Amino acid sequence: MKRVENMTQLFDKLNDLKSVFSYGQKIIPIIQSLIDFMKETVPLLETINKSIAESTSKIPRAQDQINNITNATEMATTEILDIVDIISDDIQKVENTVKAIDEKEKNRAGIRIKLRTYLQGNTEALALLDEYEKGDFISETINDLLESFQKIKNDAYNITLSLQVQDVTAQQLAAVNHLIDSVQGKLASLINDLTDGESQKDIEKVITPAIGTFDPNANYETSGQRQIETDSIIQESKSKQSQDDIDKLFA
Amino acid sequence: MKFLIVDDSVTMRRIVANSLKNLGYTDFVEAADGQQALDVLASDADIKFVITDWNMPEVSGLELVKAIRGDSKLAGLPILMVTTRGIKEDIIEALNAKVNNYVVKPFTPQILKEKIDQILEAV
Repeated sequence: MKRVENMTQLFDKLNDLKSVFSYGQKIIPIIQSLIDFMKETVPLLETINKSIAESTSKIPRAQDQINNITNATEMATTEILDIVDIISDDIQKVENTVKAIDEKEKNRAGIRIKLRTYLQGNTEALALLDEYEKGDFISETINDLLESFQKIKNDAYNITLSLQVQDVTAQQLAAVNHLIDSVQGKLASLINDLTDGESQKDIEKVITPAIGTFDPNANYETSGQRQIETDSIIQESKSKQSQDDIDKLFA
Repeated sequence: MKFLIVDDSVTMRRIVANSLKNLGYTDFVEAADGQQALDVLASDADIKFVITDWNMPEVSGLELVKAIRGDSKLAGLPILMVTTRGIKEDIIEALNAKVNNYVVKPFTPQILKEKIDQILEAV
């Protein structure tokens, strides 16, 4: 009886083993396709790894280029400011000369008035003086010149004011550089994980401006709307402070 | 009246200086950051007005304002903040640090004049 039980157990075990083999037969193709997939994926991962490493190594160059743009625009702006200063100084010199001529001309006009009183009765001399004064358009010309000088000076000053764009763009570029810096940090850490720190030593680091030395929201907006909003915030804050002071007095 | 212009941008220092000249103020000195500004203030007692940017290396404009207000000799100096920072929280922070007025870049000569005049009238 015991022998029959043992045989039954043996058959059960053999059936289990058969099930395992038949399950194995089913799963083998899946394992095979998984192995094939891994074979295809590994080179792909290596390519991705290489691409990330390459991109990361190019980032410092991009940051350098951005820094170069900032430096070049600052230099160019300084040159423009120098030229505008020279133009303004030259205009000022010419204006001073014209004003001196105007002053001399006014003195001459005074002398002519005196001369006219001395020449009373001398009709020929007075006629000559009239003839001389007919062609006298210097004072009008001087006024026109002075107006033109003022206009040139205003235009030169307006060029100067427009150059504020350099400061704003420099801050925007600094913000971009900072963002690139963060991306580089993330990529470097990814490469580090993928290569056990092998590639980490090859990654160059460019010094970027620290946070707080630039405004990421810098904006060249010339409508004056931002100043209006600023003034209104200041007004609101001052009114609140005054009210707080009054409230403190009655507390 | 002697002004101290504080900005890390050479361009902006020159623009502010030119604007001051246009307004008839010809006496000014410059500093490239807050620390330089504090050094200049320590050595030049003739400075009566400070125009400062906010975002600067070493010592920022806001830290400069706080340092000036915390110094018994300098605390009364009029300070005009001229900066690109135009969001409400920043303006309130600057006002809490006790700047006298606030100009957002890019500024116009009219605004600069208006703010300087307002400060000088109030002082």
